[in-house]
Amino acid sequence: MNKIRTLLTGLLALAVSTTVQAESIVVGGKNFTEQQILASMTAQYLEALEYDVEKKSGMGSAVLRQAQENGQIDLYWEYTGTSLINYNDITEELGPEATYKRVKELDKEKGLVWLEPSNANNTYAFAMRAKDAKERGIETLSDLAQAVNDGKELSFASNAEFYAREDGLRPLQQAYDFRFGRENIKRMDSGLVYNALRDGQVEVGLVFATDGRIKAFDFVVLEDNKQYFPAYALTPVVREETLEKHEKLDEQMNALSSLLDDQTMATLNARVDVDRQTIEKVARNFLKEHNLI
Amino acid sequence: MANLKLVTMSRWLILLGVFALGVWSQSSGLVDDFLFYWPDIRYLTGQHVWLTAVSGGLAILVAIPLGILLSRPAMSNYAEPLMQVLNVGTTIPTLAVLALSMSLLGIGTLPAVFGLFVATLLPITRNTYAGLKGVSPALLEAASGLGMSAFQRLIRVELPNALYVIFAGMRTALTINVGTVPLAFLIGAGGLGELIFTGIDLYDPLMMLAGAIPTAVLAVVVDAFIASLAFVVVPREVNPSRG
Repeated sequence: MNKIRTLLTGLLALAVSTTVQAESIVVGGKNFTEQQILASMTAQYLEALEYDVEKKSGMGSAVLRQAQENGQIDLYWEYTGTSLINYNDITEELGPEATYKRVKELDKEKGLVWLEPSNANNTYAFAMRAKDAKERGIETLSDLAQAVNDGKELSFASNAEFYAREDGLRPLQQAYDFRFGRENIKRMDSGLVYNALRDGQVEVGLVFATDGRIKAFDFVVLEDNKQYFPAYALTPVVREETLEKHEKLDEQMNALSSLLDDQTMATLNARVDVDRQTIEKVARNFLKEHNLI
Repeated sequence: MANLKLVTMSRWLILLGVFALGVWSQSSGLVDDFLFYWPDIRYLTGQHVWLTAVSGGLAILVAIPLGILLSRPAMSNYAEPLMQVLNVGTTIPTLAVLALSMSLLGIGTLPAVFGLFVATLLPITRNTYAGLKGVSPALLEAASGLGMSAFQRLIRVELPNALYVIFAGMRTALTINVGTVPLAFLIGAGGLGELIFTGIDLYDPLMMLAGAIPTAVLAVVVDAFIASLAFVVVPREVNPSRG
């Protein structure tokens, strides 16, 4: 009997001690390559700085944001435009600076702190195969709208999210005044859009501006000549409570943020999507190159 | 008698409950929100049904002859190992089957149909095989005694007796098929998965339900359809559902 009691007390003590110790930083990430690289990079970086890190990657953006507001995620990389339009319902057109300032202000009220933005602007973009676009004489989104309105059957591949977002397809079609027919819109997993476009299964694809496959697969990005898309500066966003607990965290994350720009992100993304290196390895090599681990 | 009264009463209570639920959702504006997705639901349900019908139909066409073939005495040495292969096949997650077929066939409808076909094929084959093997030896002996050829025996004795089990296999397989089609969205084949996955990504429970509820309804309808088919097709004497 006594033995059992000792055992139970021991187990209880163990449980308590692990829960106390488990006050780790939870790093989140969305469900596409760039975000998975960033989540892995951040986790490895913070681990090297001797934080206790837990990584939760691969979520839809709204789910991730909800989790951060609820305190289940401490830190992840968000895009300024996404927060402005989707989480804060601002439809005003703002420049990059103003966008950043506005979301910083608005999210502050929810206990979320926007650190220094990086120079990587991962805006949405429409891409076509370079050769195909040239033959059809399409360079801008207005050209595309014109072609669709002239009755050209152009099919479009999009991920699940973009189709229904407030800065997504419907308002874009309104802004440029055209409509893909319902059956010309093919929705699929984000990463498959690039393959579908390359293999000629669709004519137009939704891409991320910093994706390495745009260059590798010989796509052209159609110019957003009406400036429909806002700025999507990649920025670390951290919960205020987390920052209070870890004093140096903001400086450390800003150091990482200052290293990122469009070209860097495109290169890192290409290493995963084109060269087929593992996400962990790409993230680790980047950190090593910059002497962060 | 009292029992019957109880049944009628509970039936009325359930109907009343459904009605109240309807009134509540109407007044809270839920129905209007839901109807916002109606064009999507209609379009995607069409795709969903098409994917199920083609992949399930092909699976039935292939699985039943395959099951019959495996159950023949000439195959008795190979049947068990082959069934084991099929068993392994069923344990592979359907998402993996879809991903594999995508790497063979690209994106879109074709790999989705193929993946769903494979996933549906196995349960039907297994049930066909098990049903035929389960026919009582006494019956087979009697058939031989009557001077029936092997083929006559199959058509007149074995198949009618196994039919109920075969139908049970089709029911399970096709219901699972309907529930698996949403995954086909991930490889660009459309279907109600579009609403479900977009709803998850955007944290929009209503959009998710707009995909999930029709999927569930479809599954129930498919199940009921095959059940009633079995009710009609399976001979009266060996049909448990006819009491």
